[in-house]
Amino acid sequence: MIAYILLAFFNGTVIGTSRAINGRLGAEIGSVKASLWNHLIGFLFLTPALLLLGGWKFEVIPEAPASAYIGGFFGALFVAVNSYVFPRLGAMNASLLVISGQMISAVLLDYRNQGVAPTVTRCLGVVIVLFGVYLTRAAKNPRVKDKSQ
Amino acid sequence: MRGRSTDWLLAMAGGALLALMINYNSLLAKHTTPVFASWVAHGLGAVAAFALVVLYSRLFRSPGKEMEPQRAKVPLWFYLGGIPGTLTVILAAVTVNSGLSLSGTIALMLLGQVLFGLVSDYFGLFRTPKRRIVATDFLVALCILSGSALIIFGRA
Repeated sequence: MIAYILLAFFNGTVIGTSRAINGRLGAEIGSVKASLWNHLIGFLFLTPALLLLGGWKFEVIPEAPASAYIGGFFGALFVAVNSYVFPRLGAMNASLLVISGQMISAVLLDYRNQGVAPTVTRCLGVVIVLFGVYLTRAAKNPRVKDKSQ
Repeated sequence: MRGRSTDWLLAMAGGALLALMINYNSLLAKHTTPVFASWVAHGLGAVAAFALVVLYSRLFRSPGKEMEPQRAKVPLWFYLGGIPGTLTVILAAVTVNSGLSLSGTIALMLLGQVLFGLVSDYFGLFRTPKRRIVATDFLVALCILSGSALIIFGRA
C-alpha cells in the first residue's frame, strides 16, 4: 500500500515536471505551439507504449458516445493556457490556482452529470478553496516586491 | 497589476478546462482503457492544437515578426514535456486500480504537484524563475489542499 501511496505522490511531481517543461517551452516559442508539441510528442511516445502494453482497443471505439472524443480539444486548450500562466505565476501558485479551478469545476460537473446537489462537505470544501484563492490575492504585494529583487 | 489578475483568472479557467478534459477522457477510458483513451486524446489534442496555432498566427501575429533566430537556441528537452504527461496517465491507471482508488489517487497527486511547485520555485528547477517562499504560501496551500480533500472525499 505504501508503494502505491508513494507512486501516486510521485505522479503529482511528474505532472509538475510536464507543466514546468511546457511552460519553459511556451516562454520560448509561444504557449499554443508548446501545446502542439506536448500533444505530438505524447502521441508518439504513447504509440509504442500501447503496442508493448497490448492496449489497442479499436474495436470498442464505435461504442463510445461522440462526446467522449472532445477531451483532446479541452486538453489542447488547457496545456496552452497552463504553459502561458506557469512561468508568470510560478510553479506553486500556478498549480494551486489550477487545482482550485479544477476542484470547483469538478463539483459543478458532478452536479450536471448526476443531477444531485453537492453535499454540505463538498460545499464547505469549495468555500475553503475559495478562501485560499483569496489569500493568494491578499499576499500579492510582498510577491511583487520579491520579483523586483 | 492588471496583468497578474488576468493570469490568476486564466489559471483558474485552465483548471476548469482540465476538469472538462478529465471528464470526457474518463468517459472514453470507461469504453476503452486509460492508456488507449490518452493516446486518442493526445492525437485529437494535437489536431486541435495545430488548428489553434494556425488560428492564433492568423489573428495575432504580424507577418513581419518571426522568432526564428531565437528558436535555434531552444534545447531539445524543452520539447519533451509531453513524455511525463503521458507517464502520468499510465501511473494513474496503476494507482486508481489499487486500494487508493480514484479519490486517494487524486488527493495524493494534488499534494505531489503542490510540493513539486514549492521545490521548483525555491530551486528554479527546469530553468524556471526562482521565487522566494513566504509564510502565506503555506497557508494558501493548506486551504486549497484541505478544501480539495473535502471535495474529493465528500461525495455523497
